Amino acid sequence: MVKEQFKQIRKFVGTGFGLVFVASVTIAASSLIQYMYSARGLREEATKIAEGELKSNRLEIMNIIDLAQSAVKNNVSVAASLLDYPEYLLKIPSLLLAKNPDVAGSTLAFVPDCGIKVYDKAPYAFRDGEGNIQTISLDTESYDYTSKDWFIEGTKRLSGYWTEPYVDEGGGEFAMLTFSMPVKDKDGKTVAVLTADISLEWLTGVIGQVDGYPNAYSTLTSGAGIVMVSPIKSMEMKTHLSEVSKYVEDPENFSAMAEKMLAGESGSAVLKQKNGNIIVYYAPVERTGWIMGIVVPEKDIFKGLNKLKAIVATLQILGMLMILLILAYVAREQIRFKKVNDNKLKMEQDLHIASTIQMSMLPKTFPPFPDRHDIDMSASIVPAKEVGGDLYDFFIRDEKLYFCIGDVSGKGVPAALVMAMTRSMFRTVAAQHIPLKKIVETINDAMAQGNDVNMFVTFFYGILDMQTGEFQFCNAGHNAPLLLSDKIRVLPVESNIALGLFEGFEFKTQSTRLHYDDALFLYTDGVTEAENEQKELFGEKRMDAVLHTRRTAEEHLATMQKAISDFVGEAPQSDDITMLFIHYLGCREVSITFDNQIAQLEALPGFVEDACSKFGIEDKAAGINLALEEALANVMLYAYPEGTTGTVTLKARGMEGGMEFILSDEGKPFDPTAAPEADISMDVDERPIGGLGIFLVRQIMDSVSYEYRDGHNVLTMIINK
Amino acid sequence: MEVNIIKENGSTTVKLEGRLDTPAAIEVSKAIEPVLAPEIAGGVIILECQDMSYISSSGLRIFLTIRKASSAAGGKVIVRHISKDILQVFMMTGFLNLFQIEDAE
Repeated sequence: MVKEQFKQIRKFVGTGFGLVFVASVTIAASSLIQYMYSARGLREEATKIAEGELKSNRLEIMNIIDLAQSAVKNNVSVAASLLDYPEYLLKIPSLLLAKNPDVAGSTLAFVPDCGIKVYDKAPYAFRDGEGNIQTISLDTESYDYTSKDWFIEGTKRLSGYWTEPYVDEGGGEFAMLTFSMPVKDKDGKTVAVLTADISLEWLTGVIGQVDGYPNAYSTLTSGAGIVMVSPIKSMEMKTHLSEVSKYVEDPENFSAMAEKMLAGESGSAVLKQKNGNIIVYYAPVERTGWIMGIVVPEKDIFKGLNKLKAIVATLQILGMLMILLILAYVAREQIRFKKVNDNKLKMEQDLHIASTIQMSMLPKTFPPFPDRHDIDMSASIVPAKEVGGDLYDFFIRDEKLYFCIGDVSGKGVPAALVMAMTRSMFRTVAAQHIPLKKIVETINDAMAQGNDVNMFVTFFYGILDMQTGEFQFCNAGHNAPLLLSDKIRVLPVESNIALGLFEGFEFKTQSTRLHYDDALFLYTDGVTEAENEQKELFGEKRMDAVLHTRRTAEEHLATMQKAISDFVGEAPQSDDITMLFIHYLGCREVSITFDNQIAQLEALPGFVEDACSKFGIEDKAAGINLALEEALANVMLYAYPEGTTGTVTLKARGMEGGMEFILSDEGKPFDPTAAPEADISMDVDERPIGGLGIFLVRQIMDSVSYEYRDGHNVLTMIINK
Repeated sequence: MEVNIIKENGSTTVKLEGRLDTPAAIEVSKAIEPVLAPEIAGGVIILECQDMSYISSSGLRIFLTIRKASSAAGGKVIVRHISKDILQVFMMTGFLNLFQIEDAE
């Protein structure tokens, strides 16, 4: 009989659920009763709830802090790039407010005597009663912003500063906290402070109620101990935590607790009260130094205890139900947890795919124009771990090379999206046959219009005429490219501002001329700011060193990438590294113009040396120099009537197997090839002193021909390699 | 372009340093005028070209002027240490036959 029953039970527990069920019943029957319905259990429960509440409130606060901080940080870099444009600078506070609904007020306060000419030294933007953004000036005699804590500390703290809570009299007129950060000019001098105000009233609303305990409430104390949020409104912003003990029923325990709170500890304390004790749970809020408190009356915690005592008979059932619920909950949580993990994984995968797609949109085949001999170019992008926003792109249309490089502020999905948008606009707008200035302004306007997140792109746009070497460019706040000619120099660029900041900004475009064999190296700051483990930067010197050696475009980028990798070592890559190398090999022509003054011939050797090295005929440079000097001196001395000024132009052109030199002037027609040959066999007494110049030209050059065309003497000389 | 004229033991050394191009030739032709006087041109004139890197036709004219003056006064001109490039110019122009060349590189 007993054996039979035992068998049945074994059968029952054979299933997983049965096992859990039986275990639950037996264990829960005893321990749960004790756990759930003992005061201790309830208190633990309360602790858990309070801790959860503390944690979520802290996260909420951190979120607000982060929002305000990043709003200021983003706009500080915007301000720094706009220092030359005061009229835009003054708009930054209202712009910051418009794009950050949680920020109550903002000012850009200039350091007196900072040298920037603005008509308002401290424009302050805030929201009026109807939520509209208004701007007033804080630069008034009664306010004296330079004496305020947010200004003084804001000029000094590089990574920003949170003020203690205060009521801004004469400014915002409400209880607030202010985050401020310095704006520095190119030389690193602090020229202004940018701030964001968080309204305390609004913060209180965010912290909110404590779930489950109707009489519980939250408190907030500043790092310096000033009560910021309290049920006793009269204490807010005035009273120090240590003084609160005067107003409570259990000053002794309160003081002990206040001490721990101010020391940055977290924990709980019981305060004795006539009509029931209260429990205070407290914890510091990371980064702000604030102290968060949750106050729960014991009444709230134990309210159900007596009732439950009365129905002890149903405890078993309740206990069982409880454990089943917990099991169901645990199972659900586990499924949810797995889902969350899956979601996270999926998102990471999506990001990776997005980044791959994004990268694959950029031209990737090098050399990109294998059939062309007038260009050698290469580009590379090494993305940082997180999806970034670097881009480059290029194409040739109508014998013009359109190219760009850019760096989107920020990282992650938004940056990647802006990058993709910029790149597609680069292509579509360029297709419209409009001037460069218009192209860049069209892209800027389009980006500024839809830009709710205050993102911007530093951007360099270039158009290179493959036939003439005419090079137009517009630099929108990007680092200036390097121009590799006879030496390496920084292409002198107007800085303008980054794309996407202000609709209607008028961009300045520039132009210069690339010569045969000139090269451009464009890069993003991921190159110069690559950091090794000692926190040193790769820097411009190391970059220049790589470029000093002559290499193909592809080799240049590979060598640079290797130099960066070697330098960085094991340190993680923090930013995308993007480079574009364009070696111009078209328009194999250089020219120089002289006045008819012999002294100007001093410029000839340098010109000849350059031209010969460009066209690979260095070994004949000395002879070429001599022949050209003779031909030029001949024109300078005889083509123009004495006392008049005239010019002579020399063009040097590389061609298959040699070089061609064309000399042209507007002097009187004279054919030097018609001069009689010098007789070099004559004896010293018979030899005429002159007549050797033209003779030397003919000796050195492989072919010399003369033509009088359109009022010009044109002497064409060819030398073979 | 620098020109130094040194007289010693009956011979005159003209040291030429730099590029003897068209702009330089104007000054140099003035600087060597004393050498053309018969009492000097009649002796031995050494044109020291160790540090002369280049010569144009106007430089050659100066050489020829000195050579002619020497010939008229019954003297002798020696050209010393000319570079390979200049030697080529001398060959092209037949100057090799007009001058006594010593220690060309």
